[in-house]
Amino acid sequence: MIEIEHIDVFYGDLQALWDVSLNIGDGEIVTLVGSNGAGKSTIMHAISGILRPKTGSINYNGIRLERLPAHKIVDLGICLVPEGRKLFPQMSVLEHLEIGASRKAARKVKDDTIEWIYQLFPILKERAKQKGGTLSGGEQQMLAIARALMTLPKLLLLDEISLGLSPIAVQNIYQVINSINESRKLAIFMVEQDVTMALSLANRGYVIENGRILEQGDAKSLLSSSRVKEAYLGIAPTG
Amino acid sequence: MGDFIQIIAYGVITGSVYGLVAMGLGLMMGVMKFLNIAHGSFIVLSGYIAFWLSQLWGIDPFLSIPLVIIAMFLVGLLLYKLALSPLLKLPNVGARMDLSMLITFGLIYIMDNAMAMLWTPNIRSAVTSYSGESINLLGARFSIIGLCSLGIAVLTAVALYLLLSKTYFGKHVRAATQDAQAASLCGVNVHRTYLISCGIAIALAGVAGVIIVTSYSISPTGGLSWLLIAFVVMILAGEGNIYGILPAGIIVGLVESVSVLTVGIAFRQAAALIIFILILMFRPQGLFSKGE
Repeated sequence: MIEIEHIDVFYGDLQALWDVSLNIGDGEIVTLVGSNGAGKSTIMHAISGILRPKTGSINYNGIRLERLPAHKIVDLGICLVPEGRKLFPQMSVLEHLEIGASRKAARKVKDDTIEWIYQLFPILKERAKQKGGTLSGGEQQMLAIARALMTLPKLLLLDEISLGLSPIAVQNIYQVINSINESRKLAIFMVEQDVTMALSLANRGYVIENGRILEQGDAKSLLSSSRVKEAYLGIAPTG
Repeated sequence: MGDFIQIIAYGVITGSVYGLVAMGLGLMMGVMKFLNIAHGSFIVLSGYIAFWLSQLWGIDPFLSIPLVIIAMFLVGLLLYKLALSPLLKLPNVGARMDLSMLITFGLIYIMDNAMAMLWTPNIRSAVTSYSGESINLLGARFSIIGLCSLGIAVLTAVALYLLLSKTYFGKHVRAATQDAQAASLCGVNVHRTYLISCGIAIALAGVAGVIIVTSYSISPTGGLSWLLIAFVVMILAGEGNIYGILPAGIIVGLVESVSVLTVGIAFRQAAALIIFILILMFRPQGLFSKGE
């Protein structure tokens, strides 16, 4: 559904991505593995329209994304859950959900989507009137995901959603995401600190280092790849 | 007792005008971090529009408000498109605020001189058949125009409150205020939201201008003194606290009118400025805003 071809991305004069190509198919879960500063978030930002690639193209079902502003990309059905959640501290949980439903297609079915969200994350229903800034870390992350789901995306981008959460909270959130992937055929592209978890959830994966894609393939084969083992799983190569 | 009620009534009515004067300034500052130094000049400009409508076509100033709102809304869109939107490319909000001050400072000279050419430097005011008439209530006299001003100020504040809290547009404005990038990632068109907010901010200056040309008077260079009042009220309400602006305006009005009674009319403006300094010293986040 989305094909990124040979993109170079810069922060000012500083190049962050070199000739990055990757693709995500309908309903697929794809993960991006790499160390801090390797360019994982940069790829997320390039897809969601916060950053513009200098060269290369991003094709989404035949539509070129690389020159569109962020809100247009949301309109097309791609939504990013940004690193650090980026909630609106002074707005209530319900208002977050309503803002998520801003695009026309989502506005019409807003009430149904909210009902669905409340089934996925019942705690958000209890907190509906509470301000975003007063929620616990896990609840905030649920709200950030819920806000993105309100846009009715076909591709959901998740940027380190486990950051600062307890292992149980992380497990709960990924259980929900997995179920949505199955029930709604929602494609997911995610970046995670916990490489083992990410690769066990995903169908496919990419390894990125210093702004370049080094390796790609089946999640299972990546888990057993010596580079991944050595660099991210802390397992020294044997023999 | 009658004196006391009179003073309070005077303070509330003047204060509601002050609140109205600050609303557009506060909206622009709160939402986009544009500090519009030319806010007073926009108020005066809309005063002239109302003055013209009443002189040339005999339209009652209060009835001309919708026309002035539309005209000033369009002026606000132009202001955003031509002068302010390029500032959004700046990397940080501080630079945006500084440069918006510089740009609108230049605008004051352009606008004030253009208005002096168009309408002469003479002091103008719109006179209606009921100017100077008043009604007696609780032993105090209320001018008809003052009561109308109070009503319009309250109506405007309520309309702004409903717009910001109940509509999709209002939610977009508040989301963009708190985190513009996160808002755009939710599908909010931040630029369009800013554009319309800017139109509304200048339209609010328009409402204030109509009230001022009927209950006070205007001259091409009179904008600065209204800007000063708008600043005091905005700081008192707390930057970004749009709902607190009308109450803050009424507080400034009350302080002024009480100071007339207690220390004399010469110190009226000094009293307001002393509050301004005290607030900046002891509660820089404003009276109604909670501390960070």
